[in-house]
Amino acid sequence: MSQSLRPYLNAVRFSLEAALTLSNFSSQEVERHNRPEIEVAHQSAELLLQPMHISRNENEQVLIESSVNSVRVSLMVKQADEIEQILVHKFTRFLEQRAEAFYILRREPIKGYSITFLITNKHTESMKTNKLVDFIIEFMEEVDKEISEMKLFLNARARFVAEAYLGEFVY
Amino acid sequence: MLQLKPYNLLIQKTVSEAVEAAQQGRPLALDRIISDFDYTTFHMYNTAEDQAGTVYLSVRTKAWQSVLQCGGLLEYLQEVYSGCTGVTLLQQPEQGYDLTLALQLTSSPTEDTVLQLSLLKTHIMASPFKLAFKEFDVLKNVPVDPETAQLQQGPASSLFAIQYRDDETIFIKPANDRITVIFDTVFEDETDKIFGKVFLQEFVDARKRNRSIQSAPQVLYSHERPLELGSSNHPNLQGQPSRGYITFVLFPRHFQTQEVQLSSVYQLVLFRNYFHYHIKCAKAYMHSRMRYRVNTFVKVLNRAKVDDDDNDNQPAAESSTGATSTGPTRRTATGRKLVY
Repeated sequence: MSQSLRPYLNAVRFSLEAALTLSNFSSQEVERHNRPEIEVAHQSAELLLQPMHISRNENEQVLIESSVNSVRVSLMVKQADEIEQILVHKFTRFLEQRAEAFYILRREPIKGYSITFLITNKHTESMKTNKLVDFIIEFMEEVDKEISEMKLFLNARARFVAEAYLGEFVY
Repeated sequence: MLQLKPYNLLIQKTVSEAVEAAQQGRPLALDRIISDFDYTTFHMYNTAEDQAGTVYLSVRTKAWQSVLQCGGLLEYLQEVYSGCTGVTLLQQPEQGYDLTLALQLTSSPTEDTVLQLSLLKTHIMASPFKLAFKEFDVLKNVPVDPETAQLQQGPASSLFAIQYRDDETIFIKPANDRITVIFDTVFEDETDKIFGKVFLQEFVDARKRNRSIQSAPQVLYSHERPLELGSSNHPNLQGQPSRGYITFVLFPRHFQTQEVQLSSVYQLVLFRNYFHYHIKCAKAYMHSRMRYRVNTFVKVLNRAKVDDDDNDNQPAAESSTGATSTGPTRRTATGRKLVY
């Protein structure tokens, strides 16, 4: 793991641990509604906390927006060139289509980010908070690895295919 | 399956079957539509009166019109199929098709005849290549004028175009020391465009990197219109800045003998199919890989659940009394744990 990745992930971990103190909270505007306050555009500024923005560089950033009963975690995955852009897009879309298996995955990312998680008080009640944080950290590590592996694989495959084709011309 | 085959397996199988059945005295009734790459359709049929006698094979391909314009197509096909006993080109093709061949089953066709029939599409595409090889033989004997040689221009030669898809064309340009084959391509899909770029870059670099394929044709890729195309005003060359040009430079060693000529043409004709086929393969592999990765992520996430698998190991009696409808181990009717 590179020198700057460890402190970055640590910062995300501690910020998430601090943000994941959620409680059940019924809507104060609509009766008998209980909704993730972070997702609702409303007047009650007292329910929203200061968002936290952790940035490793301009391509890798995390935005943690918290409210009284929900936290929204948005990741920006590194995309160095257009191949990685395509791969990240495909991969995150693939995950989002399977969002129900992931419970905490939001079906659509926040604008400007690659993928977004939405954690509500119901999730923290049914899952261990520290394990949830572990998951997000592991996800961040694995996604980068997966994308670069896929890119390497694509190049290797292209090389093999090209050599096999041109090999047929050797008489 | 790394390499695509130049012949159509389905035609080969169907013709063999028909031949075998006719020889055993139980002729088949045939009426089959067979598809191939690049919107090519074959129709194989026979008539009820003459099931034991003749099988017809019609072909319709996008390349037909442009190849016909290059000239010499029918003569070339006549020449190819004259070596196959029992095969005749019909003067009047079937309605809606470009060419119809008739095969006499009674003449007991050999395996080679069947193979040549299944190569029909490739032979149609090969005709302009043959013309280019012939023109090369003429050009190489033309003395080079020193003035034009300085401008790196050989004697003037014709440009053959095979428009094998609506917006993609193969250009063949013979010169006095080489034959240049140019594929002009357009990628419809954004992802294909990026992946295609990666693949094409490897095609360009492969020859430099691997010593064992040094004698393969040189491959070039650019978005600029190659000079070989000159002032050609083929409709596919107008507009569209997203067009890419893939150039194969064939040197005399790639078309020295008849066999070498044939195998070069087979490879070149299949280039686009091969290339796109492998892009699709790469995508399919990535898909299965992502599927696997999603599963591992789900496993990690499931570790976070409070009612983890420890509860499943408890004796049945305990869990049946302990699990009330409001407890943390609430389950649905099918026994799935409730998470929300």
